[in-house]
Amino acid sequence: MPEASSRNSINAKYKTRLAIPPHFQQTTPAKITKLSRTPRSLAAFCFQEISFSYTLLEARLEQADLLKKVVDAIKDLVQDCNFDCNDSGVALQAMDNSHVALVSMMLKAESFSPYRCDRNVALGVNLTSLTKVLRAAQNEDILTLKAEDAPDVLNLVFESSASDRLSEYDLKLMDIDQEHLGIPDTEYAATISMPSTEFKRICMDLMALSESVSIEASKDGVKFTCAGDIGNGAVTLRSHSNVDKPDLDVDIELTEPVSLTFSLKYLVNFCKAAGLSKSVKLCLSNEVPLLVEYALAGSSYLRFYLAPKIGDEE
Amino acid sequence: MLTNEDGETTSHLMGMFYRTLRIVDNGIKPLYVFDGAPPKLKSGELAKRFQRKAEATEGLEEAKETGTAEDVEKFSRRTVRVTREHNAECQRLLKLMGIPFIIAPTEAEAQCAVLARAGKVYAAASEDMDTLCFDSPVLLRHLTFSEQRKEPIQEIFVDKVLEGLNMDRKQFVDLCILLGCDYLDPVPKVGPSTALKLIREHKTLENFVEYAQKTGKFAIPEDWPYKDARELFFNPDVRPADHEDCEFKWDAPDVDGLVQFLVTEKGFSEDRVRAGAARLQKQLKSGQQARLEGFFKPVPKTEEQVKSLKRKNEAKVEEKKKKVKEEKKEKKQAKGKPRGGA
Repeated sequence: MPEASSRNSINAKYKTRLAIPPHFQQTTPAKITKLSRTPRSLAAFCFQEISFSYTLLEARLEQADLLKKVVDAIKDLVQDCNFDCNDSGVALQAMDNSHVALVSMMLKAESFSPYRCDRNVALGVNLTSLTKVLRAAQNEDILTLKAEDAPDVLNLVFESSASDRLSEYDLKLMDIDQEHLGIPDTEYAATISMPSTEFKRICMDLMALSESVSIEASKDGVKFTCAGDIGNGAVTLRSHSNVDKPDLDVDIELTEPVSLTFSLKYLVNFCKAAGLSKSVKLCLSNEVPLLVEYALAGSSYLRFYLAPKIGDEE
Repeated sequence: MLTNEDGETTSHLMGMFYRTLRIVDNGIKPLYVFDGAPPKLKSGELAKRFQRKAEATEGLEEAKETGTAEDVEKFSRRTVRVTREHNAECQRLLKLMGIPFIIAPTEAEAQCAVLARAGKVYAAASEDMDTLCFDSPVLLRHLTFSEQRKEPIQEIFVDKVLEGLNMDRKQFVDLCILLGCDYLDPVPKVGPSTALKLIREHKTLENFVEYAQKTGKFAIPEDWPYKDARELFFNPDVRPADHEDCEFKWDAPDVDGLVQFLVTEKGFSEDRVRAGAARLQKQLKSGQQARLEGFFKPVPKTEEQVKSLKRKNEAKVEEKKKKVKEEKKEKKQAKGKPRGGA
């Protein structure tokens, strides 16, 4: 505790001395903005007596909407996780508690305007807390994420484009010792693109009957089947393109037939991301986890991996 | 104690049946390992347990005459003994339920560890910490605690334990022996913190015994064959995982057999037994949920990350110590003040 509080007090001192408002990027003269970009060593040289901390990360999103939806989509799977920031963007990888599903998010630097991250930094965040803060942002707000060097807090600024309203929140960070999984590049046997609402509907409909769904992809199409106490159900989709509404296209690429069984509980959970993208991509190969990918603007993505259920039927 | 109409004990079957169902309901496929003949070294511990049982039986008699109902209950719990018949009945029940089991040559925990290490099972579930000494990669505790106790299941990873203690397995086993295991009497005046300090200082039990004899600080029991105990942990008598006894299969339950055994012979409710069998059947059909670790391997941490983690942990421990110290100080001060002042 003493360490953190002393750092805060130095910050406060520094801020008052130079009288920099917290959102100095927009309001302060160029000279000071430049100073905030000085490498740390030089900064330390300039301010030898005080341990000088400066903004290490600054990422501005045109629409708060994106982050709100991403966090909403994953907060039921993952409680605490690290946002790994580096110069290429903000990444997140986390497994659910039972190590059955994995979330992998990448918000590329291009998705932000502007984006700056001077050094790799892991921001340990409790997603429930982050949701609470993000609730204070309106979908169309401009959202800026900021963090200092060796940060205790993540600073979030919401600017309303319509009015001059500006709100600012500090979210306490935590140390999270997280295992990072290496995901091998896989040539999937089947890749299915479909409208994200269609996938959501299939999952919800079958969920009413059973806990698990088997996905079979063959040259005839892709078939989702389930069997439960009250009866069975099956939904079959075939490749088709719609000239008027390309959003409704279903595209199946297949090198080899596949058949796998998955827990619907997790799939329904993944479908919370349907609002992020009009279309969703399912990638399957026998005996490997399913990949469900929602592509975001600027080659960013939100991916879910789900381990299959392994049957004993001989 | 639960009994049927004829006064035969049925609590073991009741427990086995419903706990197994609960495990299966949660998507776990259990494999039971029964204790075989105890190793010779355990005779001391077993004699002690027997003694305690005998005392409890005496206590029970006395309580029945003079004590309250609570006392009777207390002592009767302590007199519970697993007999050969109980084990045989449990095994018969498992067979009918389609759940595999194996009888270990000696210690069940040792056998569990071998199976877990070979990847035949994910983890060993036991309340006995010895399982860690047998080198089971994962130990689960409190797996079958009743739901009412609201105890979370503990998952202990032996590699993390060793990393955290900064020890190799040999030292860890020595530490556990010093802490007191089933095979040896504990050394008087050696508790957890002393034991850890001693092992850190002397590295091995050999050095510690030498030190204890030289200085006379610790009274090591006369008969203290620590080398034999260590040998038991490192080379226990077990079936190797590729042995034909270790081919396990989860089968469909034999519903009629279960009804015959539990309802006709033991007086269980037929509806419940049939419902239980249906649950077993359902889980068998739905397939088992795989875990991601089976497909994706963790990326090892870079040296830098490990270092920074260590530093952070140390800082945390330091902070905690400070806090405790301060709290103690405050308490002392509060005590020192006369009461009723403010």
